[in-house]
Amino acid sequence: MSSNLSALLSATFYVPGYEHLVELIHQRDELARRRLASLDLAVYDPSGALLASSAVDPRAEILDLGAVVTAMADPPPRVMVTFDARYDAGVFPYRPHHYGYLHRSQSSDPSLYYAVNAVLGGVPDRVGATNLNNFETYVLRRHPSAARYSVLLGCLARWAPVEAQVFAHYGTERVLHEVTLQPRQHVEVPLEPERGGHRVDRVELKSLYRLASYVVGRRDGSDDLVLFDHLFTYFK
Amino acid sequence: MTGLPGPPDRPVEASDELLLCYCTSLTVGELRRAVGAGRWPLPGKERTGKLCTGCLGDLLVCLRWFDAKPVA
Repeated sequence: MSSNLSALLSATFYVPGYEHLVELIHQRDELARRRLASLDLAVYDPSGALLASSAVDPRAEILDLGAVVTAMADPPPRVMVTFDARYDAGVFPYRPHHYGYLHRSQSSDPSLYYAVNAVLGGVPDRVGATNLNNFETYVLRRHPSAARYSVLLGCLARWAPVEAQVFAHYGTERVLHEVTLQPRQHVEVPLEPERGGHRVDRVELKSLYRLASYVVGRRDGSDDLVLFDHLFTYFK
Repeated sequence: MTGLPGPPDRPVEASDELLLCYCTSLTVGELRRAVGAGRWPLPGKERTGKLCTGCLGDLLVCLRWFDAKPVA
């Protein structure tokens, strides 16, 4: 790696049946000079096995994840997709951002837009941030159409397994889900929608080191995604 | 990493060129050489594993591979 370039590894999850696009560079200037130096894509199955990898043209603006995954033979129902970017810190003083667009084919539900979870290099040293990044939380707004919530977790380590704790809060009650992930493994942790007459209203994630993490909500019946968002750091 | 199995032997893919810490731009080779020379942590790389924290597990694994001594 050139010492002149910075690095960012982001991750999202793809499930079939959705148009799922990723805007590789959100920040633009008039001359469109804001390009990544390079971008490598990798796709992993839930066990952490590498299914595919490729270099993406850093001049590309939009990546169609559906096209990437459906080109593979017999993809599993959920894959983790990583975006390994190199960029010039002079062009992106903080870091480049990838943004996702998600819409189920033929669905009348609104599209979902989300920031792709920046996991490794999410806090470049030059920024000088000191916040903890491996304790995260998400406050669930009451969503009338989301009947089932879950947390998607992915381990982006290469060699180290990780133990993670997912706490679901129901009023004053807290339910713990413990997960151990091997490198590049990913899992969906379902949350009970209700306990003791209280809906799940908050989720916390704690782990030794930062994971790729999203909270998702699905509509009862159709199973359509109505929420897909990364968690937020807890301590400020 | 209490309670978890120890790291396996250093795999072939853990090449010196591999980027270990995306926040401080530390490579596996830089870490290996610094530990071998008793110069870890390198100046400017002290916050490796402490920023986004995503590489912390791998950093600990690498330090064990390279038989790093605890920092006083």
